[in-house]
Amino acid sequence: MADTLAIVLPRVRPRLGRDEWLMGGSLLVLALYLTVTLLIPLVVMLSKSLEDRHGVFVGLSNFVRYFGNPSLTAAIGNSLWVSALATLIVVTLAFGYAYALTRSCIPFKGFFRLLAMVPLLAPSLLSAIALIYLFGNQGALKSWLFGASIYGPIGIVMGSVFWTFPHALIILITALSTADARLYEASESLGASAWRTFTTVTLPGARYGLISATFVTFTLVITDFGVPKVVGGQFNMLATDIYKQVVGQQNFQMGAVVSLILLLPALLAFFVERWAQSKQTSALSSRAVPYQPKPHATRDLALLGLVSLVGILILGILGMAAFASLAKLWPYNLTLTLHHYDFSTADGGSWASYFNSIRMAFYTAVFGSVVVFAGAYLVEKSRVAKALRTATHMLALIPMAVPGMVLGLAYIFFFNAPGNPLQFLYGSMAILVLVSIAHFYTVSHLTALTALKQLDPEFESVSASLRTPFYRTLWRVTTPMCLPAILDIAIYFFINAMTTVSAVVFLYSPATTLASVAVLNMDDAGDTAAAAAMAMLIVVTAGGVRLLHAWLSHWLHQRTQAWRQR
Amino acid sequence: MSTPYLRIRNLTKRYGHFTALDDVSIDIVKGELICFLGPSGCGKTTLLRAISGLDIQTHGTVEQDGRDISALPPAKRDFGIVFQSYALFQNLTVARNIAYGLENRKQPRAVIQQRVKELLELIGLPDSGNKYPSQLSGGQQQRVALARALAVSPGLLLLDEPLSALDAKVRIHLRDEIKALQRRLGLTTIMITHDQEEAIGMADRIVVMSNGKIEQVGTPFEIYHQPASLFVAEFIGAMNLLPATLVQQGEIQLGQARLTCPVDGFATGTTVRAAVRPEDVVCTGRTNGHANSFEAEVQELEFMGPYFWLSLGGGALGEHRLRAQLPRQQARELDLRLREFTHLHIPAEHIRLFPDGYRHG
Repeated sequence: MADTLAIVLPRVRPRLGRDEWLMGGSLLVLALYLTVTLLIPLVVMLSKSLEDRHGVFVGLSNFVRYFGNPSLTAAIGNSLWVSALATLIVVTLAFGYAYALTRSCIPFKGFFRLLAMVPLLAPSLLSAIALIYLFGNQGALKSWLFGASIYGPIGIVMGSVFWTFPHALIILITALSTADARLYEASESLGASAWRTFTTVTLPGARYGLISATFVTFTLVITDFGVPKVVGGQFNMLATDIYKQVVGQQNFQMGAVVSLILLLPALLAFFVERWAQSKQTSALSSRAVPYQPKPHATRDLALLGLVSLVGILILGILGMAAFASLAKLWPYNLTLTLHHYDFSTADGGSWASYFNSIRMAFYTAVFGSVVVFAGAYLVEKSRVAKALRTATHMLALIPMAVPGMVLGLAYIFFFNAPGNPLQFLYGSMAILVLVSIAHFYTVSHLTALTALKQLDPEFESVSASLRTPFYRTLWRVTTPMCLPAILDIAIYFFINAMTTVSAVVFLYSPATTLASVAVLNMDDAGDTAAAAAMAMLIVVTAGGVRLLHAWLSHWLHQRTQAWRQR
Repeated sequence: MSTPYLRIRNLTKRYGHFTALDDVSIDIVKGELICFLGPSGCGKTTLLRAISGLDIQTHGTVEQDGRDISALPPAKRDFGIVFQSYALFQNLTVARNIAYGLENRKQPRAVIQQRVKELLELIGLPDSGNKYPSQLSGGQQQRVALARALAVSPGLLLLDEPLSALDAKVRIHLRDEIKALQRRLGLTTIMITHDQEEAIGMADRIVVMSNGKIEQVGTPFEIYHQPASLFVAEFIGAMNLLPATLVQQGEIQLGQARLTCPVDGFATGTTVRAAVRPEDVVCTGRTNGHANSFEAEVQELEFMGPYFWLSLGGGALGEHRLRAQLPRQQARELDLRLREFTHLHIPAEHIRLFPDGYRHG
């Protein structure tokens, strides 16, 4: 009887209220934004892999040529094992470091947290430049490598570990700082050992973060070209091959082919991440009791040792770069001078590039965090258009799998195409901001999602039952509760926009030269000391902004997060 | 029965091939407190979410106070809701939480403050307005959530397992409070719970659900004493369910014992399940002066405070085991001992027959 009734009865078509229209409309705008600034350029770009130099469709012949050339295909294996090794080292170290910061009682946590973020302040080129000063042909510690050369996989792994470390750390800190004290109390009261508590409560709780950190790190390393460009020597990686094809040989089509190949491991990682996310549940219900670590001498001492070691390595790299920028003529005349900071004689950059970078980073931070947080909110909390939400989320994850250069190249093809109404953006500051937001979208999006997932999923239901529009609850409850995460996103955008090279290297114009690109160009022109100086300038600026952020976060925590205390 | 306040007809909710709610119809009267009761996955939450519009049904209609709300979004409906997790806005004080729904209605600040004050008194937390939710106990937080829902004077109150997260004593206390409040306000209330004691103690009527379907709708008394199905008989309270054979109309054979009982629609010779509540089994010790009596051995004797649990077997019962609940006073008078035989009497009106299900034992 039920079956017959169900057939006879019409399907209920839910009617949409103002909230639903607004949410649906905003979602659509967001999806369109991502489609225009991300998907279409990529599709245009990838279609180039099927064309010859004159734009004629040639099917797979570019791929046939690529795979017929062993000197090109060797880069695939190289990229895979170097990235896997760097990822293993980074995630292991970052987990220990994050654990020390969130679950132990080591002293100077604030200092160590800031210190670990230092690599974020620098372009990835900086670690490579410092490594050359340390272990290169005229390196201070050359003998430490026992005759092995820093130019090649050793240098790439070391440099990559340095600059990707904080990326993994941010994710793991977020994953570990949302613990529910009740689970630990339960475990302790059941007589579980510390190790058993770690393997049955801590690790499962951080599982999503671990998988996510692995995914992010691997993709960052395999898609980076700054480090292998400077310290890779003759060791071919996929990312440097794209650069060589496009900039060196002006072979855009082959660049597109290598991009497609580089997409495969990133896509695999992408699906692993999707799977991990489907397993993720709301970690911090509104009843959860925040975890407060208790002192434990042995554990705290061991963890203090670990964070100190990592801290020294970070300071060593940074110190080397700073010294290189100040030494008059390495290694012959080590008198300190600010001479390298006067870029008027340098080939490839100037102070104007520096101020352009600051403007660009500021716009990226402001617009980026608004777009990303609003987008993550719509994806996670809106009740409408499930298919559109899934699609938007997918779009938001794409940038993680897209190397910056590929995106930059895609922007050339799309925005510079004759007849594109958006062509006026080409060569402007706006296109640099757009490409930077798109390039760094995924991590910001995931950070926002993680923060939103920690809120009680019924806030929106309660709000609707009180006939309060969703945007009011978004403004009064969701946003204030997520403010620390939003600030993190803004600073992430600012600093990355300041330090990125790959996405913007094809897109700057004479009026919009950037500091990070200047580092690359000066290094290329052989003026390594000026490159180090410009890199240090970026570090100092980003560091100042970072301190401002730390102070702001602290102030916020004091003012609005009183409810977090038990 | 008066005209229903909430009229639910043929509600069905499908997720792909899974049917979470299967053709459910109920009428809910204005001012009553009705409980949806059932094990997890029975569809009670799905039904509540359909009524609230948070997860709209695939088929069927919902009418509230004569208005068809079947397809309306939650904000266009008229209900207040309280969740198991409280879902309090943790960055807002208790007073701001309660005022949350009022502030959107452009009322003067003084009116809102007055209303918040009233509600804080109503829930017995007159001095907690300036505290943050995390500074309150679970029971207090849930009362704030209740006040927040009541603040906008909704026509319907939905309680989604509101007590499940609380400890036993707080739970019982808050149960009585919610019930008293609901009676005082005359507010039509739907509460979902998996706790039958809660349902029996609070509800005017209970809707017992299983597998997306309604098993029975009735007062707690009806549900307890006249379970409409084997599921309800097993799910609610303690129940003996003994295999028996209908030897003639009005008489069953249970082991060696022949018992008279009301028979409704079973053919002679059918195997049935005889349902008897433990407290309806009367022990008469050595005396055997009743009809519907038989003898069995006391195999277990468990002291429970006000009463004893008896487990009976052997004798006329043979392989079957019967549980009985015996008041302490009576147990002392009869001087029952383990391994001794006693006469038992089951009044005919306390035996209910059900078709033999698959579950045994």
